[in-house]
Amino acid sequence: MKAIRGGGRPVEVLLVEDSPGDVRLTQEAFRDANAFIHLHVASDGVEAMAFLRREGAHVHAPRPGLILLDLNLPKMDGREVLTHIKEDAGLRAIPTVILTTSEAEADIVKSYQLQANCYLSKPAQLDAFESLVKSINDFWLTKVKLPQQRQSG
Amino acid sequence: MAVIRDINVHKDAEKHLAQMEGRYRGLLEAAPDAMVVVNQGGEIVLLNLQAEKQFGYQRDELVGQKVKNIIPEGFAERLIADGTRSAADALAQQIGTGIELTGRRKDGSDFPIEIMLSPLESAEGILVTAAIRDISVRKDAEKHLAQMEGRYRGLLEAAPDAMVVVNQGGEIVLLNVQAEKQFGYRRDELVGQKVKNIIPEGFAERLVADALRSAEDALAQQIGAGIELTGRRKNGSDFPIEIMLSPLESAEGILVTAAIRDITKRKKAEAHLLQKVEELNRSNEELEQFAYVASHDLQEPLRMVASYTQLLSRRYKGKLDSDADEFIAFAVDGASRMERLIQDLLAYSRVGTKGKDLLDTSSEEALQQALLNLRGAIEESGALVTHDPLPTVLADEMQLIQLFQNLVGNAIKYQSPGIPRVHISAAKNGGKKWIFSVQDNGLGIDSQYFEKIFGVFQRLHKREEFAGTGIGLAICRKIVERHGGSISVESQPGQGSTFRFAFAGSERKS
Repeated sequence: MKAIRGGGRPVEVLLVEDSPGDVRLTQEAFRDANAFIHLHVASDGVEAMAFLRREGAHVHAPRPGLILLDLNLPKMDGREVLTHIKEDAGLRAIPTVILTTSEAEADIVKSYQLQANCYLSKPAQLDAFESLVKSINDFWLTKVKLPQQRQSG
Repeated sequence: MAVIRDINVHKDAEKHLAQMEGRYRGLLEAAPDAMVVVNQGGEIVLLNLQAEKQFGYQRDELVGQKVKNIIPEGFAERLIADGTRSAADALAQQIGTGIELTGRRKDGSDFPIEIMLSPLESAEGILVTAAIRDISVRKDAEKHLAQMEGRYRGLLEAAPDAMVVVNQGGEIVLLNVQAEKQFGYRRDELVGQKVKNIIPEGFAERLVADALRSAEDALAQQIGAGIELTGRRKNGSDFPIEIMLSPLESAEGILVTAAIRDITKRKKAEAHLLQKVEELNRSNEELEQFAYVASHDLQEPLRMVASYTQLLSRRYKGKLDSDADEFIAFAVDGASRMERLIQDLLAYSRVGTKGKDLLDTSSEEALQQALLNLRGAIEESGALVTHDPLPTVLADEMQLIQLFQNLVGNAIKYQSPGIPRVHISAAKNGGKKWIFSVQDNGLGIDSQYFEKIFGVFQRLHKREEFAGTGIGLAICRKIVERHGGSISVESQPGQGSTFRFAFAGSERKS
């Protein structure tokens, strides 16, 4: 398995998730899937945007190669975060994957209308969740070709 | 000559008189009524054929006789008075307004007559012509009418509803005691008044139209199909009424009888019922919403419990002591059962919240899809699933598939050793409904559980015997009820079971 994209640098992933249990579970799953991932965590929408725009404490934040976005978040929810990302010329090329517990048709439709790159719902079983994270790694962090942009935000 | 001339004049006069008499007699005989001419002495001087017939005498038996013989009272006494009347007065007197007396036939029997008198000047002085009409038929009719009216009034008063009879002018001509009570008026306060006073709208306007209806139409109109209007009491308060109108022919023209029912109680009951239905619908909706939200939101923490106990189990199994392994195993098992329960509850609530419109659906295709979904279970058990040709029904296809899947799945699952046999068929129940049957040769069910098995999370077997949460048949019932049908089971332990449910047929082809 090809673990590192481009020149041996680790892959930066931003996980926008407010539940510490989910954060840890995702970290565990990624650790099993790919040892070369830097998983950054933003626990609400406002922090996620600050990270992406390198504001405040995040002034030195790296540009992530993938955003995993939960929909139900405090302060600014995932739909708003998605809207901001896709309206921002500097951010919209970053693949943004919705990773949520919601299976509501309305949420799925809305997410794609806001140009989410794909919509995944979290399975309840640990095995299934691990397998999902492995798929994300295999597809979005391994197979997918993305533009080589290292611009400032 | 003078004498001769005198004689000639006399002869001419006699001839003239004879002519006149002939003409008069002709008129007399042509009259439809019996005609009797009487002199001032009360003696009959002339009569016609009708008079002979009516009284049963020969003409010569009556001429010269006292008129009292055939009209015992009231006629002879009038002769003097009437003889003095002027011709103008006599002309004004119409037969229709004549005097009612009694005639007596030769055989002594009496009959009611109406006579019209008129004076006739003659050489013998003033005579009186009496036109006599036999009015027994009219009298009978009048008596009958009076009886009818009495009976009608009796009916009117006996009616449980308020009855008001109204003329074409919208005026009340008759009413019963119930009407007095209902509207709070005394009878004399309403008779002659406009019906608009007690029924302000919708009644008076209908009178014209209703007068034109045929009696058949009127009969066809039942009180249950009456018109709902508003009644107004004397004290000004309004109350809901239902009225049924029917035409009534009378001497004064067509009247309209209105049966008026106070429907205050019914209206209240209807409103109450409507409110209860709304409440029930709302509470059902809330319950469904609650079940959906609860099970949805329960999934989040459950996922944490399930995932971390699984992680614990995976990483630390065998590294702690045997008690720890056992405890973790129970936690893992509990969490996954909880997850199935929530999933099932969610599926149950979705029957109501996520149901689609009912469309023409091939139940045969729905069954095929269900069998495809059950492929694994069918192959594993070696089950033999057969079916008759199945109809097109009005259904939510996804739910019909789920219904078949649950029923056939159960039939295969609850089996004694041997090959499960399941047969699906459908038959019309006379009406537009199709009765589907899913028959198996499985374990069967004791009759005491026939109702219980359709409840939420009701199980008849231990988890060790048969897995499952006990939601399957509850979902089946909810699906069938959503389609306006019902589901039932017929079974005996060891004899297999037959589940039956009804669905409405397709509207296109029956």
